Amino acid sequence: MTLLRERPTLETTTPPARTNRKFPNPLPQLAMFCWAVVTALPLLWAVVSSFKSDKEILNEPWSPPSTLHFENWERAWTAASIGRYFLNSLIVVGGALILTMLLGALVAYALARYEFRGNRVIYYIFVAAMFFPVFLALVPLFFVVQQLGLLGTYPGLILVYTAYAVPFTVFFLHSFFRTLPSEIAEAAFLDGCSHGAVFFRVMLPLARPGLFAVGIFNFLGLWNQYLLPLVLNPDPDRYVLAQGLAALSVSQGYRSDWSGLFAGLTIAMLPVLIAYVAFQRHIRAGMTAGAVK
Amino acid sequence: MRHGRWRFLLGALVPALVLHVVFVLSPYAQAFYLSLTDWTGVAGQASFVGVDNYVRLGGDSLFLDAVRNNLVLLAVVPLVTIGIGLFLASMLRHSPARLGQGYRIVYFFPQLLSLVVIAVLWSFVYNPNTGLLNSGLRAIGLDGLTRSWLAEPAWALVAVMAVLVWSSVGFYVVLFSAAIEGIPAELFEAAKLDGAGRWATFWKVTLPLVRESVQVAFVYLGIAALDAFAVVQIMTVGPGGPDGATEVIGMSLYRTAFSYGKFGYASAMGVALFFATLTLAVLALRAGRKERLELA
Amino acid sequence: MNPESQLTRYPTRRTLLRTAAVAAVTVPALAGCVTSGSDDEPAAESGVEKTADNPLGVKTDAPLEVVVFKGGYGDDYAIKAEAAYTAKYPQAKVDHKGLQKVGEAMQPRFVGGNPPDVVDNTGAGRLDIGTLVTAGQVSDLADLLDAPSLDQPGKKVRDTLLPGVIDDGTFAGKTVALNFTYTVWGLWYSKSFFASRQWQYPKTWAEMLTLCAEIKKTGVAPWTYQGKYPEYINDPLLTMAAKAGGLDLIKAVDNLQPGAWKQEGLVQAATAFAELAGQGYLMSGSEALSHTESQAAWCQKKAALIPCGSWLESEQKGVAPAGFDMVMGTVPSLTASDKLPGAAIQAASSESFLVPAKAKNVAGGKEYLRYLFSKESATAFAQANSTLPAVEGATDGLTLSSGLGSVRDAVTAAKTDTLTYRFRTWYGPLAKAVDDATGELVNKRISPADWSTRIQKAADALAKDTTVTKYTR
Repeated sequence: MTLLRERPTLETTTPPARTNRKFPNPLPQLAMFCWAVVTALPLLWAVVSSFKSDKEILNEPWSPPSTLHFENWERAWTAASIGRYFLNSLIVVGGALILTMLLGALVAYALARYEFRGNRVIYYIFVAAMFFPVFLALVPLFFVVQQLGLLGTYPGLILVYTAYAVPFTVFFLHSFFRTLPSEIAEAAFLDGCSHGAVFFRVMLPLARPGLFAVGIFNFLGLWNQYLLPLVLNPDPDRYVLAQGLAALSVSQGYRSDWSGLFAGLTIAMLPVLIAYVAFQRHIRAGMTAGAVK
Repeated sequence: MRHGRWRFLLGALVPALVLHVVFVLSPYAQAFYLSLTDWTGVAGQASFVGVDNYVRLGGDSLFLDAVRNNLVLLAVVPLVTIGIGLFLASMLRHSPARLGQGYRIVYFFPQLLSLVVIAVLWSFVYNPNTGLLNSGLRAIGLDGLTRSWLAEPAWALVAVMAVLVWSSVGFYVVLFSAAIEGIPAELFEAAKLDGAGRWATFWKVTLPLVRESVQVAFVYLGIAALDAFAVVQIMTVGPGGPDGATEVIGMSLYRTAFSYGKFGYASAMGVALFFATLTLAVLALRAGRKERLELA
Repeated sequence: MNPESQLTRYPTRRTLLRTAAVAAVTVPALAGCVTSGSDDEPAAESGVEKTADNPLGVKTDAPLEVVVFKGGYGDDYAIKAEAAYTAKYPQAKVDHKGLQKVGEAMQPRFVGGNPPDVVDNTGAGRLDIGTLVTAGQVSDLADLLDAPSLDQPGKKVRDTLLPGVIDDGTFAGKTVALNFTYTVWGLWYSKSFFASRQWQYPKTWAEMLTLCAEIKKTGVAPWTYQGKYPEYINDPLLTMAAKAGGLDLIKAVDNLQPGAWKQEGLVQAATAFAELAGQGYLMSGSEALSHTESQAAWCQKKAALIPCGSWLESEQKGVAPAGFDMVMGTVPSLTASDKLPGAAIQAASSESFLVPAKAKNVAGGKEYLRYLFSKESATAFAQANSTLPAVEGATDGLTLSSGLGSVRDAVTAAKTDTLTYRFRTWYGPLAKAVDDATGELVNKRISPADWSTRIQKAADALAKDTTVTKYTR
């Protein structure tokens, strides 16, 4: 699969119709509760463990910390370089996200709203790449990036991330731009706007809900990317978060410091989870909008 | 205006196309060529070896292990994930709205996390002596069930699959429950009037009407099952072990290329993976077409 | 980067992640060198007469450029040697560069024909030395080896190095690199723990089994190992095999000779480890533990012994409790008729210094290495990094930590009986086959006979494979 773990568009999730007039059957309730526990427990455990001492982690995995070891977080952030990895991720993902959205929106818009020879061909050239396994490209990609002198650099990663995120963005936004009314654009043209101005001033703001939705998908995909940086970003100083965490746990890069590692995991998890819970209404609204065909 | 139109189109398409050609299309194309050479990474020293690499794949027992494991993943992960996802999604219909919303949020959590974070976390869960799983089992007196989950050939792949299922169920719950909510309530009412039980309602009403979502889920999960690289590389013994028990094609490819420097041979593995993915997609699409024909 | 990661001699050791970095860059980086490795004359010889005081004929005012990998050991030790050099040649201007990515920075300079005078080719992304040799880019260090040692009167540089160091830097019959640090593999235990229980570290495998039975009775697991990475437990197994079968056994293995893995020493060593596992002397769960987890369990005295290289002490800093006093024991001898003495050790050197053939000041580069490899410089290094340098006697008279002290003692006791297998660095797929087989062996899933059959099959396949470059020793 390509860069993103592509997800199909989420349909609207209005609150379920209240079909249950009598008592809910306890068995399904139990099942749902159990799955919630199975899902949340390991995550909760990681958060709790991040406050424990190494000894407690090794000897009493189920008990809460005797005292809160906040220093684990500090150590993870500084000594284990999680802070640096976090910053690297921000730079690379931020850069790639902006570039992806810009290029993806431009291509999707151009293909959706302009008729010209080769339009369909270009569309399929982009979209087909979504279904190729990245592994196939991995080896040559490494050498392409190396020959361009971009191996292990921020610009290199940003460009590659962008290249692999654009197909999904085009696919998603293409149908979105098609649904936008053409009257406003035509009015803008009559006002003497150039094509570029129509796109940036008129169409892009109209497409905001769709951009938001695809932006979230892209962000998650890019933020969690592992394979590409693993191969293309060999310099430990420029590791992104996922790569850094893997290095901490798999290699000896960081000496036996479980509490620090759990703190690192938590640092990696919490921002995304909190952002999701805080914005989930907006996110769902965006996804709903994106789903309108 | 026409001049501006072309200028705008060029400006809009060319940068993305250049990136696409340089970083996406050309590597894919090169991979096919490389797979026919014995290239070891030294410039100008790739000699054409025809299908040798492919012949070699057939005799590479570790690669065959990988193919076998990917097939097992392909058979199990989508089915189990979709099964649990559908079950929970149709149950969510019966739960109070606020609670259901809460469940949906919690179920979705793993989807937000990098597979790396998930794999690191679960390698701690599976630790035979101090892990969450075994110490939990011991705490409730089920000592007999404790295992060296990742070190026993019979369990290692199961453990990997459990993680993959765990990490993806939530997304499909949300997907399916959205699809189920799209079903007109009258249909459920009608089924109820006909005296259909929960089970019958599920098979006769729910499943047929969310078929399209299920199909999409099969494709996506199938592709994920053909990958599984991050989880295997971080979590398993070896990695890929014990003794190839959790080897996957991606792992073999990565090792062959970046540890052994056999880039030609690794590319052949990539091409094999490509055809596996292609076959999967084509099969899923054909199955979809058949359904539609039958419905028509 | 930590010291440990440079000490590890195996490309696949522990971390595929880091291997990616190393292999990925190492393999193709020198592509340019290969094609441009023309027949240029090496840079001008200094033309200065060689004297007892200036055995390499250094032009006293020629500038010297030194590039050092600045990893876990820092680069202070190299700067100290530079200071000593300028003290001798005050007119020479020394240009020092401490880098993290030596390969990346040096590749264009090798290709461009203006390399520095000394390169410490170490760390992720280091240049592939085999490729450098083929391209004629590195100087033969023979004259340096035959020059008198700087501070050990009557000795040549060659005689001041620990056994195996020259071999490790010799490619195609020429010594082109000198490794500065020295790693030894053995079995580790807590001296205080052993003393309190009155356990004696065994000299033979039979004694080992008796000891294990005794330890097990007290409720402590006799052994643990880094099960997630089975190569760790390979080390004592292969060391024992080599002790039993002698250096010929190693040669047969490394040269992929038919039937090499069926040699008696190897089968016997495998049988010994099968018994260790069969008797339940390996801590349960070890098979799934990572190196940090198993080493921590060992530090918690859940197990008495663990196989590891000499980096263990620094790796366990902060994990080992106070008074733990870890020491490394030599791998016991397998039989009474072993070909190598019981004190023989598995050892290898790393942190690879070389003098580029096209350097402007080749003689100065070699002279610098003479300063770096002096006893004084090596001693300072050992003190600063608690790591054994490759210079004999460098730690004499120093107060060493228990671990480093035991490593030093093991090296002293071994004298010239050191051994090392090369197949790991030469043939990655074979190393993987051995690791997998040993993992299965110590988990009682295959017999020793199966073990050697399986590996032999992999070795035979490799020997027949024409696409793999073969090496011999």
